[in-house]
Amino acid sequence: MFKNYLKIALRNLQKQKLYSLINIAGLAVGLAVCMMIMLYVTHEMTYDRFHTNAKRIYKLQASVKIGGNTMNMNYMSYASGPLVKQSQPGVEGYMRTLDYFKPVVVSNPLTPETKFKEDKLIFADPAFFNFFTFKLKEGSANDVLNKPFSVVLSQDMAKKYFGDTDPIGKTIKLKTDSVYTYQVTGVAENTPSNSSVDYNFVASANSLLAMKEAANYTGEQRIASGSFNLFLLLKSQSDTLGIRNGLQRMADKEKDDFKTFYNLSSLTSLHLSNNFGDFSNLKYLKIFPLVAVLILLLALVNYMSLTTARATLRAKEVGVRKVSGASRKTIAAQFYVESGLFTLISFSLGYALCYAFKPWFLNILQLKIDNSFLYSPTVLLLLFGLLLLTALISGIYPSVVLSSFKPVITLKGKTSKQSGGTAVRKVFTTLQFSIAVGLIICGVVIDRQLYYLRHADTGLDRENVVMIPVSNSIGKNYPAFNKDVQALAGISNVATSHYAMYGGHDMYFMEGKTKEESVGLAALSVDDKFIPTLGLKWKYAPVAGKQLANANSIVINETAIKELHLPANPVGSFINTGNGKLEVAGVVKNFNFSSMETTIGSLGLFIKPDTTQVWGQEGCNLFARVKPHTNMPSVINAIQAIYKKYDQDTPFSYSFMDEAFDKQYKAEDRLASIFSTFTYITILLATLGLFGLAAFTIEQRTKEIGIRKVLGASMTTITTLLSTDFLKLIVLSVIVASPIAWYAMHNWLQNFAYRIAVPWWVFVLAGAMALITAVVTISYHAIKAALANPVNSLRSE
Amino acid sequence: MIKITNLEKFYRTEEVETIALNKLSMHVDTGEFVAIMGPSGCGKSTLLNILGMLDDPDEGSYVFNGIEVAQFNERKRADLRKHNIGFVFQSFNLIDELTVFENVELPLIYTGVSAAERVKRVEEVLDKMQIMHRRNHYPQQLSGGQQQRVAIARAVVNKPKLILADEPTGNLDSSNGNDVMELLTDLNEQGTTIIMVTHSEHDARYSHRIIRLLDGQTVMENIMV
Repeated sequence: MFKNYLKIALRNLQKQKLYSLINIAGLAVGLAVCMMIMLYVTHEMTYDRFHTNAKRIYKLQASVKIGGNTMNMNYMSYASGPLVKQSQPGVEGYMRTLDYFKPVVVSNPLTPETKFKEDKLIFADPAFFNFFTFKLKEGSANDVLNKPFSVVLSQDMAKKYFGDTDPIGKTIKLKTDSVYTYQVTGVAENTPSNSSVDYNFVASANSLLAMKEAANYTGEQRIASGSFNLFLLLKSQSDTLGIRNGLQRMADKEKDDFKTFYNLSSLTSLHLSNNFGDFSNLKYLKIFPLVAVLILLLALVNYMSLTTARATLRAKEVGVRKVSGASRKTIAAQFYVESGLFTLISFSLGYALCYAFKPWFLNILQLKIDNSFLYSPTVLLLLFGLLLLTALISGIYPSVVLSSFKPVITLKGKTSKQSGGTAVRKVFTTLQFSIAVGLIICGVVIDRQLYYLRHADTGLDRENVVMIPVSNSIGKNYPAFNKDVQALAGISNVATSHYAMYGGHDMYFMEGKTKEESVGLAALSVDDKFIPTLGLKWKYAPVAGKQLANANSIVINETAIKELHLPANPVGSFINTGNGKLEVAGVVKNFNFSSMETTIGSLGLFIKPDTTQVWGQEGCNLFARVKPHTNMPSVINAIQAIYKKYDQDTPFSYSFMDEAFDKQYKAEDRLASIFSTFTYITILLATLGLFGLAAFTIEQRTKEIGIRKVLGASMTTITTLLSTDFLKLIVLSVIVASPIAWYAMHNWLQNFAYRIAVPWWVFVLAGAMALITAVVTISYHAIKAALANPVNSLRSE
Repeated sequence: MIKITNLEKFYRTEEVETIALNKLSMHVDTGEFVAIMGPSGCGKSTLLNILGMLDDPDEGSYVFNGIEVAQFNERKRADLRKHNIGFVFQSFNLIDELTVFENVELPLIYTGVSAAERVKRVEEVLDKMQIMHRRNHYPQQLSGGQQQRVAIARAVVNKPKLILADEPTGNLDSSNGNDVMELLTDLNEQGTTIIMVTHSEHDARYSHRIIRLLDGQTVMENIMV
């Protein structure tokens, strides 16, 4: 019986090539999108689950409340580890890791020319490879990190610095606060792509104690915030509350002027709850599954709609089968087998598509997914589930419709009257176009908002500014470097800032109206050329002749006047810092110093002379404004040549301020490009569905068209007649989709402090696009039908 | 074999109710060959559909082989049908995507006959219908007469007790039509009960008895000699 079903399914597939192609291609594209998103979401959801003890590992975090401000502290002090273990019986073990905060220069002393800037250096307690489940390829987990200045390399790094030779026992130089020589004690597997602990180099934590900057890490002797990730291995998962309360009781006894609260986050939840750094992925994680379901639904609806439309042609077969003894159940089973076959073909094709487009997709998301993850049991199981679900859903409607055909009617050739759910197909088409129109609207709004963010006047001229990070290795040479760059022909201005623009700021707490109220003030350390170089405008200029570069004065922005409760023109008044006073030297007009997702907060500029030694000692950023119409590469080459003269240790790098500004929206950018792709796919699917449906509906009306032509209808009237029915549905979809899309976009825009209003014309645009697509699609069939000779169509009846 | 009493069937649309069968009573004995005649719209086809359990009556009783089937649901009717009744249609109703062999094999698949037994029985009946040489052809490749022979082969392959034929010669020329009537007569002589709807007095003469219908009622019965 099964063989018979399969046989007839295959023969139908061959006979109806166009419909089979539309059906299979549509479903394959939908499935490919679904698989890709499934892969991505699964990857995100399985972070850190590969550790043997994953369920018992928790990370200790603190939040500190000072005045009205709460700050989340992701890191704990070095001393916290042993102190927590001693005081809390529920803690079995602890692991401290320090993610070295900036890239370090690494070199192999045997081949000094292999010298690169590397990131992902972590310092960890000796038990690192026992605590976490990272496999050591060489070395023993019990002793690789026991001695100070021992380091374990990832496989990639071992290959990079030692090639095919065995690195064990050899040395490698890492430059942190200064250059130290480490002995290589092990090689570990590269961290899986779904690990939040990520390393290229794992160095022994006790090395830090021997460094010049040791006091930065180990100064604090209490349980307190600090620089280390503190992971705790609990005796049992249920101990979290007890431990937190225990720590809280200890904290409450401390007599600080701030209050500390503790929080334990499970390792497995860390990735998704992490609000530090780039949490843009969370945005996708919410939107993408929805999009995946919509696109798959669209493809399935296509399939069901076309299959049932074609069913009229199968009606006779159903009738014959029924009089030959088939029951409704066996007919339903037959069409399930057919749907299963189509699904299987589409699934295989979809898998191939997914595989082919995966690199592109991951590239847009800026994401890495190990190949081994693709073949992990979880993923395979999910794929199999998707296959089953698709086959199940795609088969339901055709089976129900087709098996309900009454042989009495179908065998008399009156099939068109029971072609099955014309109304349902209308709903399907409307649904498809609603999704397409909705996505078009969202895509255009996202695009407009991004354009707005990029081109809005932020009160700062960021065009043509090169930012060159300078590390402490330049030392006392910085003023000379600064002067030489300024002297270049293509440079109009240079300025110095501790942080790169949009690269962060310090946070100070100033006294407000009362001693208890503290007001957060973002602060940038800059030189006196910063304001003119970036084109900042004065709201209240400093008193003429006043030296701005003065440790006792500060320049603030407009917001700070209000927040610090200063007089309307505060120049000359003082801000109480809690342990001193700062004179307000001037007020600049507000400018956006961070992302436009937030409003402009209070800002203070601490101005230091460009000649001070501090810049070179701490590292800073040189901002060079390039004159318009200058050859950019030659200017950068010239700057690089100067840089090399003053600093041979740290490799030269640079960035453009406008690009740094744009980069803040890279999450939105990626969202936009993925969104437009999804929109195209949706339009494609909806069009495919409409194409197939129009072909079929018009085919069914051949006789009617013939009669109308015989009676004198023109081609135009027939084309209009045939198109109108469909176009009504498209108009309906625009009406359905617009309010939903408006609501979704209105909410999305609330994420931005600076935003556009949803423009009215996007609805018109999306509607027009849908209508034009539909007209073109339908016209092909409509015109073909209108041009046909009525003699042929009438004779065939 | 068949006994129907006061059978009624209505067709309703929004405005009109049409009576297709009006308190119709009749019976057919095992081994009979009965022709049903009457003008268009007299209820012939409706009657045949009900007899074939493709449709159910609104009122009245239908006893098939001693079983009351008027109130059977679709599943039960399908089950009874596949073991007892074969159909022959005016428009042949072969499945275009299946070969001659596969078309004839279809009823055997639904009654769960084993593959080896199916081959044997299909070949036997194709042989009898003299269509064996066309076994791997598709319906479109056959003449009308050949297609109807395939359809009859399909109707009898399950060895049904009753064959219902709805104008079996309507789409055929007279020579092919006569061949088909001869085939049906042969089957009847071998013991199969046949009920045939026809417009043709010529064809009706092959039967034992003609039932004439008008407006859903029996108006006359002719016993053929």
